[in-house]
Amino acid sequence: MSARAFVQMAIAQGTMLRRNVAFWLISIFIAVLSMMVFGLLFKPEAQAFDLAVVDEDGSQAAQSLTGAFASVENVKFQQGSRSEELGALKDGDRGAVVIVPPGFGAGIEQGGAALQVYYDNSNLIRIGYVTSTVKAVVDSYNESLAGRHDTVRLEQQAVETQTVRFIDFLTPGMVGMTIMFTNLAVGFLMVTWREQGILRRLGVTPLRPGLLIASQAVSFGLISIAQVTLILLIGRLVFNVHIEGSYLWLAVSGLLGVLCMLSIGYTLASFARTMPSFNAAQQLLAFPMLFLGRSYFPIDPSPALAPIVAAVPLTHLNDALRAVVNHGGGLGDLWISWLALIAWAVGGFIVSIRLFRWQ
Amino acid sequence: MITESAGALARQPGSPLKPEGATEAVLVIEGLKKAYGRVTAVDDISFAVVRGETFGILGPNGAGKTTTLEMIEGLRDPDGGRITFLGMDVVKERRRVQQRIGVQLQSQALWPELTVEETLKLFGSLFHRRVDIGTLLDRFSLMDKRRALVKGLSGGQKQRLSIATALVNDPEVVFLDEPTTGLDPQARHSFWDLIRDMKREGKTVIVTTHYMEEAEALCDRVAIMDHGRIIALDAPRALVRSLASESTIEFGFPETAEREELAGLPGVRDMRKENGSVLLFTNDVSATLNALIRFADQKGQQISSLNVRTATLEDVFINLTGRRLRD
Repeated sequence: MSARAFVQMAIAQGTMLRRNVAFWLISIFIAVLSMMVFGLLFKPEAQAFDLAVVDEDGSQAAQSLTGAFASVENVKFQQGSRSEELGALKDGDRGAVVIVPPGFGAGIEQGGAALQVYYDNSNLIRIGYVTSTVKAVVDSYNESLAGRHDTVRLEQQAVETQTVRFIDFLTPGMVGMTIMFTNLAVGFLMVTWREQGILRRLGVTPLRPGLLIASQAVSFGLISIAQVTLILLIGRLVFNVHIEGSYLWLAVSGLLGVLCMLSIGYTLASFARTMPSFNAAQQLLAFPMLFLGRSYFPIDPSPALAPIVAAVPLTHLNDALRAVVNHGGGLGDLWISWLALIAWAVGGFIVSIRLFRWQ
Repeated sequence: MITESAGALARQPGSPLKPEGATEAVLVIEGLKKAYGRVTAVDDISFAVVRGETFGILGPNGAGKTTTLEMIEGLRDPDGGRITFLGMDVVKERRRVQQRIGVQLQSQALWPELTVEETLKLFGSLFHRRVDIGTLLDRFSLMDKRRALVKGLSGGQKQRLSIATALVNDPEVVFLDEPTTGLDPQARHSFWDLIRDMKREGKTVIVTTHYMEEAEALCDRVAIMDHGRIIALDAPRALVRSLASESTIEFGFPETAEREELAGLPGVRDMRKENGSVLLFTNDVSATLNALIRFADQKGQQISSLNVRTATLEDVFINLTGRRLRD
């Protein structure tokens, strides 16, 4: 009985979810709309920033490079001494500080010179734009040196090697958000079924609650996989968002997120008696999670807020997804997030099985 | 003048069965109790149901009918007493019992986004034993609707599908909780035919209702419940026969002092007064009627909405409780 019932329950519930088009489309729609708004129309990373050049060389070559930086659009050009400018960078007043070291001009003559660049890596939204701007200036300067492409090398300081655009940051956040909304909704389903007497009807059959929950996990998992695939596909095709890491780690992270959010959905459903009270509880939980969990924007939590941010399950889901999608992270980067998601899932399922009631 | 219940009586099936007869008891209930907080819903009831009978539980809303069924079906644990189904303890072997029963609850409890066929398939997957879905679709006239979504079905079609889901496992006992509440008279009568079909197949049917004509029309035996207790249990005809009178005369009569004298009319065994009306229970309808009309003439009182009927289960309930079923 069990295997057959399990398969049939999973198929039937998958069918119901699929036929409820509004349900699975709305969260994809919100995710894609957010990607459109932040990825195309309003690019928070493309705001003007302060760029400083410290010329410690003073040669002809150094001056012409400084000129190239000064003429870049969308940049507030600054000049000063090394200590002044690095101080300003520390205060968050500079996007980048380019240092032209002594001997730069002589180096060019001999066919190789290095620039030191310091970035403000506390501003995650802007850093991708800043690094690519600096790189573009240096590239075109190299081109102007009659085809010697690698004459000037960048020695980058305090910045990650991969440049992460805001859309790269946002896309895994939208995946996390969709997983959260879709799977919290299992609680709404349970409250609805309880109100309509469907759970009572199942309660007079030999069906076990654990088997019902397991079959729901499978059908919600399948719907989530379809949604995530669609969002990542749009990210890839429209915004050129690449998945740097392994698809397997991505799938594991996503499915742990599914289980974690399902368990929270069930827990809410065990406490909420009516659909309106479930909806209120779900929104009260989901919206703070959305922001504390950094689905949309990176936040730098104050010490008071930090433990809350660390407790929010969506934080760990988004961390894991970003580690894989943006940074090609492996097990070493993922295990903390996975552990947190597993803890939430196990805790939630224990509570909801304990409190399960057919009516 | 003759009310529908007289006709219903004429259609009443079979002879009354006694549980201590030769047939096997499929369900034995002993000393069953359930309380919600301080409210006692089921108060120490005992009865047995034999194989193949249609057993009715009749009573007003809140009498404890649904709670009794829920304990037998394994939805609620009793506070006391014992329920034995085919030798199994229902509390201890709930899932084994649930393999062999079919249940229709008060709410239809169907998934709007599934088709008729998918619904039956899903319910079927929950049981070891299952009947052919095509046969069920045919029998409940749902074959041409089998690919239709449940949300598009009419009320009657949903009702038939709901009963079909109770039969997917070819159950030995079928429980129907107030199955005809809210149905129009025509739908109710075709539903009665479905129950008679189940009986013909040899299924044991346990049905709760607060319609006394339904209990009279369908049930071999009826347990009348009130305030959590069984106050009478027998074949419907035997219950009616147990009344001291055979007929009931009901009419409107002003609330005057003369009203008391009605009890002395010829043939009257008992009298019941309600707000504007009087019920006379009599063994001799014509003598009582004649005397009643003369009496009204002499006193110059108007008799209104006169109704003469053979005594029914309703009268049994009134006789036992002093209240009507549908109050």
